Amino acid sequence: MVTTNKVGITGMGIVSSIGNDISTFSNSLRNGTSGIKQAAILKEPKVSVDIAAKIENFSFSDSIDHFQNVSDKKYHLAKRLGRRAPFVIQTSILSALEAWCSARLYDGKILPERIGVIVAGQNSTQNYQYDLISKFKKDPEYLSPRYALEFLETNQVGVLSELFDIKGEGFVVGGASATGNVGVIKGSQLVLSGIVDVCMVVGVAADLSPMDIQGFINIGAMGGKKYINQPEKACRPFDKEHEGFIYGQASACVILESESSAINRGIPFLAEVKGSAFHLDSNSSANPNVDGEARTMLSALSQAGVSVSDVNYINTHGSSSPLGDKTEAEAIQKVFKNHTSNLWLNSTKSLTGHCLYSAGLVELIATVEQMNKGFLHPNKNLEVPICDDLQFCGAEALDYHIDVAMSNSFGFGGINTSVVLKRG
Amino acid sequence: MSKEHVFEVVKNIIVEVLPDVELDQVSIEKSLKDLGANSIDRMEIVTMSMEELDLKIPLMSFAQVGNIEGMVDVLTDNYVASVESN
Repeated sequence: MVTTNKVGITGMGIVSSIGNDISTFSNSLRNGTSGIKQAAILKEPKVSVDIAAKIENFSFSDSIDHFQNVSDKKYHLAKRLGRRAPFVIQTSILSALEAWCSARLYDGKILPERIGVIVAGQNSTQNYQYDLISKFKKDPEYLSPRYALEFLETNQVGVLSELFDIKGEGFVVGGASATGNVGVIKGSQLVLSGIVDVCMVVGVAADLSPMDIQGFINIGAMGGKKYINQPEKACRPFDKEHEGFIYGQASACVILESESSAINRGIPFLAEVKGSAFHLDSNSSANPNVDGEARTMLSALSQAGVSVSDVNYINTHGSSSPLGDKTEAEAIQKVFKNHTSNLWLNSTKSLTGHCLYSAGLVELIATVEQMNKGFLHPNKNLEVPICDDLQFCGAEALDYHIDVAMSNSFGFGGINTSVVLKRG
Repeated sequence: MSKEHVFEVVKNIIVEVLPDVELDQVSIEKSLKDLGANSIDRMEIVTMSMEELDLKIPLMSFAQVGNIEGMVDVLTDNYVASVESN
């Protein structure tokens, strides 16, 4: 791709288990507040793991009242589009609204045709469908006509484009646990190629049905058994006692914008998306691959035009999966070699759980917040690291100046992604 | 079940589906379109009303309906018919 422009983040928004806006989320990161706890299992059949970092006490109507700088018209439209919509749509609307406001897009300086929207999420209606099944089997006639819209993933594209008057490109991307990063990568490419000036990228909250959770348990990916009575200890990225990922929920949104557009609107980059890479392992299974991960990190550095010694922080994929953590640690050693002693690592999942489709965006936002506020958040529950030659954050936050950061996300099906950020 | 009762049921469903509409704005001679309902809102109001009244009527029966009263009439007629057949 030939380009002379730059792309950066000009707005961010989040709804998560540790904060329903960026500032609360950021404070939780610094304080090492974890959203992981015993979750009430309300549905049948009961699954054996009930530990998760869920979005709790969420009210769409209350949350939407908190926004300033939203015109009455947009406020009413948001309410209308979201009030009766499934939970995942409601959380997407809220994270997108916060990002939109923080990027000051209400200034109306950009033509709707020059704005795009990417919904980073897959299988987002699984739980919604699961809830409808028994009623549907009894009385199919009473199925809401809205279902035909809502079971389509692209419904989110429609809802967000209507709410924000977006008329450029809009589509859905999926990449398993790397979905969020895939969205950021595709959004950056849209901006860099000049197809749009601004691209909203929304990571969809994973609303797993009991069947989905059981699937993750049965394939051996989900942890929470060893610490069934100590949920706060269950998620332990890179610790010897790790045993699988802990499910988390969040919707997270970033606004990507070209440098020329941001300058024109007088809005600073919160961080520059300096480069990124996306490589497959040609593998249909769940296992990660050292070479694939290393190749992706190197390729992202090369695209960013930075060397390994420029990077001083990695927001790891770090899902608390024994094989996943080991593989990523080896790949980081392979890429960064002697530089690993100058490089700090943590895993946001130790606080938020694994937010699956939105994880890449949650972690990108965590990276930007740490970068701009000068700290590194704790890597919770890391007591005995799986390796000695990597520098992991511990139980307390550190004051730290991040210059260039890398954020990794890897997904089932051999999907590897890395994004490189530079201070804005 | 009187027409008035069916209208009450329909009215509550209308304000549930259309958050900008208040109960006192819903008068029987108005059309759902007047109240700001799009075609999917209208279909949903019909489906939810049928469920609330425990009725199953082919959606085609509402094709010629021009306002809320027309819809209430179709629902009431079918409700009476279903009660009589039971």
